[in-house]
Amino acid sequence: MDIIESSIDTSSKEFRENFKHYESLVNDLKKNIAIAQKGGGEEKIKLHKSRNKMLARERIDALLDPDTPFMEFNPLAAYDMYDNKAPCAGIITGIGLIHGREVVIVANDATVTGGTYYPMTVKKHLRAQEIAMENNLPCIYLVDSGGAFLPMQDEVFPDREHFGRIFYNQAVMSSMNIPQISAVMGSCTAGGAYVPAMSDETIIVKGTGTIFLGGPPLVKAATGEEVTAEDLGGADTHCRESGVSDHYAHDDQEAIHITRNIVENLNRPRKTHLDIHEPEEPLYDIKEMYGIIPKDSRKPFEIREIIARIVDGSKFHEFKTLYGQTIVCGFARIMGYPVGILANNGVLFSESALKGTHFIEMCCQRKIPLVFLQNITGFMVGRKYEAGGIAKDGAKMVSAVATANVPKFTVIIAGSFGAGNYGMCGRAYGPRQLWMWPNARISVMGGEQAANVLLTVKRDQLWRKGKELTKEEEKKITKPILTKYEKEGNPYYSTARIWDDGIIDPVDTRMVLGLGISASLNASIPDWKPGIFRM
Amino acid sequence: MLDAGVLEEGRCKAVFINYEHENNVYNVTIERKDKYYFITYNNTEYKVEAEELKPGQLKIKIGDRIIKSVITEGEKDKYVFVDGNVFKVKPVELTGARKTKKKEEGSLNSPISGRVVSVKVKEGDDVKKDDVLMVIEAMKMEYLIRAPFDGKIEKVNFKEKDQIEIGQNTVEIKKK
Repeated sequence: MDIIESSIDTSSKEFRENFKHYESLVNDLKKNIAIAQKGGGEEKIKLHKSRNKMLARERIDALLDPDTPFMEFNPLAAYDMYDNKAPCAGIITGIGLIHGREVVIVANDATVTGGTYYPMTVKKHLRAQEIAMENNLPCIYLVDSGGAFLPMQDEVFPDREHFGRIFYNQAVMSSMNIPQISAVMGSCTAGGAYVPAMSDETIIVKGTGTIFLGGPPLVKAATGEEVTAEDLGGADTHCRESGVSDHYAHDDQEAIHITRNIVENLNRPRKTHLDIHEPEEPLYDIKEMYGIIPKDSRKPFEIREIIARIVDGSKFHEFKTLYGQTIVCGFARIMGYPVGILANNGVLFSESALKGTHFIEMCCQRKIPLVFLQNITGFMVGRKYEAGGIAKDGAKMVSAVATANVPKFTVIIAGSFGAGNYGMCGRAYGPRQLWMWPNARISVMGGEQAANVLLTVKRDQLWRKGKELTKEEEKKITKPILTKYEKEGNPYYSTARIWDDGIIDPVDTRMVLGLGISASLNASIPDWKPGIFRM
Repeated sequence: MLDAGVLEEGRCKAVFINYEHENNVYNVTIERKDKYYFITYNNTEYKVEAEELKPGQLKIKIGDRIIKSVITEGEKDKYVFVDGNVFKVKPVELTGARKTKKKEEGSLNSPISGRVVSVKVKEGDDVKKDDVLMVIEAMKMEYLIRAPFDGKIEKVNFKEKDQIEIGQNTVEIKKK
């Protein structure tokens, strides 16, 4: 393969300014993640530990193979929501290794409002299950939750993608031979009781773990019976009498040990085998990406400079270099795995869309995972392009992306606007994972464009009545829209609402993609069956 | 076959060469140390001494064997005469080599249909290569038209707020 030659001038003023700016974005990101990872704060942590319980993150650390990475999803879920009372949305999810096998972990953080489920907690739990289902990965639930967050019951209980879906997913996954394992390390009340009850194998910790449909206060109110929590739904009751739990642990450590033993005996060979090579670091300093991304998001940049810092050995076999140049397609390796990369290098024209479609077809045929590096301000607009059929060419690409059933991964590295988001495998197109860089922006169109569209509509309405807008009035209409788009287009707004799987430091892109592809090999890749392309 | 030109004197430098001969590609690595060449082919390393007697004529020593060889160059191929045999070889594109990207000269034509947001030069201005001449905005992005070479501005075809079509010439420059 050929090596991408870089022509970055690292000593230029522009580069240094960009670099400095990007470093501050990454520092902010790290700071925000560190705060979220503290969970419910010092006092709650102290209380939690006084009960002889390990913290959710300590449990995960102990559960995973030593010195192996934990790919955490949505560490900034619920950021700046619910008065900031639910850091990390009170639940930690991710992919890790147990006995060398990838598993999905879902761990409640009881220091955050007793581990209860806010709307974003539910969404995050369901997203982790979706990842498990798509990649055929066993699920480990480290349960320590008071169930639904009652004050917001209308947003967590009744709908299709609400609390009930958790147990539905457990049943469906179990039927697909995706093992469901629960370790009950705290309370597991009401609906929450179904997490262990619906699992294939369950462990409960003596003294702290309880499972019951109605807690002692409810029992007293309903029937007058007085009973302690331990007697009602503790380890002895469930391991010796009810059979709700299968394994008895004396403390968190032992529960983790038993969980590891369960995974050791699952018998799960990988389903997909790719042509894997020894991983190679890129030829260029990965951190140079900080200086390549322009501080001003309206400035275009050369995408090959980014590809050169993501792929193994900076080697890239480019496809149709001279055609539809605003999209760059080519084959490369990431952490040793073969990938097909589609990356934007400008606005999408008909030719770029056709080229992208052809490339996706090849990857589907050859069963090569797809990586989308998304920086797209949209499909080109205008009379000439509409007449040239850009809508149907765009549709071909969108259709190819939608039906492509090789593992897809999307990284939004800058702008993500309009239909460009669809063509480049946005969230709705089912990428196995979707990551954002801290400089990214996402919205249906740019704020300025939205403001102008709405202004034109208003102006036309008034014109029919024979009135006109003053400059003042115009500003009154556009300003709130600009503010709204700036706020909602921000990656933190996106990640808080789980429109992505997390914001990452660009230097981690290789690793995150490598882990994602590795996890995807647990599922088989079916043959491709495309839809009808409008010709 | 040893192209002395690619080997630097006094230091060890590996050169990867692929040669094609009768439809087979031979993958060869050559390193030079002092007067010796270390040639790796098929996972075996050969220590070779070579001397260019006169242009195109080589004396090669491999162990106890001394080979005299004459190399002539055709249009694409090289002909190597060894011990009365003639081998036709041609170098093929190196794999793993850096692709030398010829940086294309910047174009003075607009890359996109859009609106001119700023014009940085006027007639008669001297400009240096890479100076920004015009800024065009389209689809939320700013496109910079830069001088492809040093020169003098002869004509500016657009002014601010003008609509410009893809491929239209923005500025005319007389090359210095």
